[in-house]
Amino acid sequence: MNSSPKTRRRKAPSSAPIEMCSVRVGDTLFGLPISHILEIVGSARPQAVPLAPGFVGGLVHYRGDVLTTVSLRQLLGLSTQDRAQPILVLEGAGGCFGVLVDGVGEVLTVSSDDFEPNPPTLDECRKKLFTGTYKLKKSLLVILDPCRLDPSYLVGSQLA
Amino acid sequence: MDELTREFLIESQEGLDRMERCLTDLENRPDHAALIAEIFRSVHTIKGTTGFLGYKRLEKLSHAGESLLGQLREGKLSATAPIVTVLLQLLDGLRSILRAIEANETEGAGEDEKLIQDLEQLQANADISTTVVDSAVKRRSRKKAAAVGVPPSTVSRTADIAAHDPTTQLIEASPDAAAVDKAERSPSPSENISKISSSGIASREHETATLVNASTVAASESTLRVDVALLNRMMNLVGELVLTRNQVLQASATSPSLTQLSRRLDMVTADLRESVMKARMQPVSNVFSKIPRMVRDLSHSLGRRGRLEMEGQDTGLDKSLLEAIKDPLTHAVRNSLDHGIEAPDVRIAAGKNPEGLLRVRAIQEGSHVIIEVSDDGAGISVERVRAKAIERNLISAERAAQQSEHELLQLVFLPGFSTAAVVTNVSGRGVGMDVVRTNVEKIGGKVELDSHPGRGTTLRLRIPLTLAIIPALIVRSVGQSFALPQAALSELVHIARQESVSSIEWMEGTPLYRLRGNLLPLVFLDRLLVPGTTHDRNNLCESYIAVLETDGRRFGLVVDGLADPEEIVVKALNVALKNIGLYSGATVLGSGSLALILDPTAIAIRSGIAVEESDLVASAEVSAPLNLINNDYLVVDIGNRRSAVELTNVIRIEQLPASRIEYIGRRPVLNFEGQLLSIEDSAQLLVAEADPDAQIVVVICRDGDRQVGFVVSHVLDVAAGTDLFEAGSSRATKGVTLLENRVTDLVDLALVPALSANTTEAHSCQFAEASL
Repeated sequence: MNSSPKTRRRKAPSSAPIEMCSVRVGDTLFGLPISHILEIVGSARPQAVPLAPGFVGGLVHYRGDVLTTVSLRQLLGLSTQDRAQPILVLEGAGGCFGVLVDGVGEVLTVSSDDFEPNPPTLDECRKKLFTGTYKLKKSLLVILDPCRLDPSYLVGSQLA
Repeated sequence: MDELTREFLIESQEGLDRMERCLTDLENRPDHAALIAEIFRSVHTIKGTTGFLGYKRLEKLSHAGESLLGQLREGKLSATAPIVTVLLQLLDGLRSILRAIEANETEGAGEDEKLIQDLEQLQANADISTTVVDSAVKRRSRKKAAAVGVPPSTVSRTADIAAHDPTTQLIEASPDAAAVDKAERSPSPSENISKISSSGIASREHETATLVNASTVAASESTLRVDVALLNRMMNLVGELVLTRNQVLQASATSPSLTQLSRRLDMVTADLRESVMKARMQPVSNVFSKIPRMVRDLSHSLGRRGRLEMEGQDTGLDKSLLEAIKDPLTHAVRNSLDHGIEAPDVRIAAGKNPEGLLRVRAIQEGSHVIIEVSDDGAGISVERVRAKAIERNLISAERAAQQSEHELLQLVFLPGFSTAAVVTNVSGRGVGMDVVRTNVEKIGGKVELDSHPGRGTTLRLRIPLTLAIIPALIVRSVGQSFALPQAALSELVHIARQESVSSIEWMEGTPLYRLRGNLLPLVFLDRLLVPGTTHDRNNLCESYIAVLETDGRRFGLVVDGLADPEEIVVKALNVALKNIGLYSGATVLGSGSLALILDPTAIAIRSGIAVEESDLVASAEVSAPLNLINNDYLVVDIGNRRSAVELTNVIRIEQLPASRIEYIGRRPVLNFEGQLLSIEDSAQLLVAEADPDAQIVVVICRDGDRQVGFVVSHVLDVAAGTDLFEAGSSRATKGVTLLENRVTDLVDLALVPALSANTTEAHSCQFAEASL
């Protein structure tokens, strides 16, 4: 379970260019493979769930369903924002879930040649969330592992 | 897997299910032509289809079965116990091959030779016996048939069995009785019987077959197979519609033009919801049909003799729930046979019928279906349960001594109770009873156990009709809305700001509320959800206590506010939130906001509320004999006299200042929601009350088609009452009932004189003017 998603992703980009949806959280530009994104819901204010694990950003109403959201800010140890935030809807093992971000940017096309794995100096918690980074011209695009953001995964991991 | 194979699998499964039902039935009615024809058809269809799908093993086995069934159908053989046994084996064989095909599209490498041999052997017997006994039996039987009016085929078959099968001596002993019995049920008119010859038999078989065929065709034309996933999707959409309707209803409250439209939407939604739910309903017979076979097999292997009675098989239940009760039901039936019904010799010694009675019935009761498994076996010895529970430290000796028999019986549902083999052997029951309870509670149901030593045990499963949409009360706490399932809610208590300090009592930091004289443990929802919240005891604000009752736990949940009750659509939560253990789901409210659904049982457990039925109401309810008619009564105190009124008649209990009561002449009346209500004040409480601001309590009741109110000093309780019978008669007495073991007067509403029609009219006009 630990290695399989990574190896899959490393093999895949060998030929075709990959499209990443860029999102901003704090000062960092993150990327998520667009193939994993079902929809981007423009700003919503999630409803808090008392006693929920820290990474849960709350619940939102999404197409007749109740969507559990994950707060990236919480996961990265940043202060949380009490305002409406854009939500990326991803498909996880236990159904859909949302990821709360500060802002959504454009879709970037990256090539596997620019990929670098996580540096060994990265802290353990982040190592688990990131698959690596793509070198863009002026900055880095840090790639999030969609499987690792799944609340059903997070609840069993040490990250919570 | 291609479409054709899938279709074949579904069809064959259905056929085999039908076959199983018919087979167990056949054992009791060995010569029922329609049953045999049905079984024959199931096997024949499988054989026919496998031929061109190329499943050789299946074809061979079903062919052997078909040949034997053919003999049965032609009346050359009778369905004796060994034949039914082999046919059941055939059924299992076919099932296992079908399972293999479903799993990996091959028939598997099983060996069917033995079974095929058995099938052929029985068939060979038939050939011999028919040739040998044929002429003699026919002659004899025809004579007999003429005497009792039975088609000769039936009797000849009965005779056949006798001729070659030693296991059916029972039937042989009373061929005439059996024949007479059959004659009564026989569908063919008696004047035709004399004409029936050997060719006549064939034509009659043919007739029955076409008859059955006709009914199957009709059924298949009026029904349609629908993918469950599609049905689930439909249910979700309907759920959506319910939510949207709720929102529209709330929005339209402010604009009158929309009211008409939204009412229509409301109606359509309700209808649609009901029909989709009905589409998901399946008769419980789908699960019940497995029981006869199980009873048969278990009775054989355990050496018990059990008679099965089933009732209410057409009761409908949501498909998903039906799946969920399969295991608990199996468990319950097995328990009844294994531990409930005694061995025949024990039963005879106890003066009972050696054949034990196992009754399984389903009844719909409001929004629940009750499934009852009862036996007339040994019952459970409460003393032994008590002893074992103490021994296993499940309960302290002091506590056990205080508990009622009913409460002690419920201990068998505790996990620790069932796992130990020693306990189950001694107590007689309890294998996996905790599993039964867990499974049933998982789907929002309840389990109850009743047992009378020496007379039997009844297990009652209470299952909600559906899970998807439930009525709930919306409460507010920590600035959020939460949904509280109505099923657990027994009453609501409002605590006004000025009362909050005095009405909640504290016992070393534990809050309690005095509810009609009994202390009710309180759980503050905000403290539970946000640990660390403290309450300034001298500065509490307005709050409500929701009195919850959930599997024997009773407590008050303190919330900040109440909103309207709503029908909510339950949405599952992500596992990360399910793990919190306090929420059973989430829902979208009419206002468009989200609410978490609270799980009352989990809250009770988290707060350490123990299972207890200390409260008089509960114990009064359970200790009342079950065969008597029970009604719930509102118990009131009218001028120091205890009286009761049937709870179903009570509309409202109003607390109002004495000045609200007005008088027509000397008759007290009340303007209640724009209508005039005649008030009965039998104890002259109004006269005694001099202060116009004093609060009085009026119980408003339904009496036929009118409403009346009566003044009471206090409302005491709600309790179950039992009808009293006049000594030596079976006439229920009027005007009194037995409540909490005390004879209590009933308030006779009919005594309240009617207001004359004219006066009523004049006064409602006055009220109308006044309100303008």
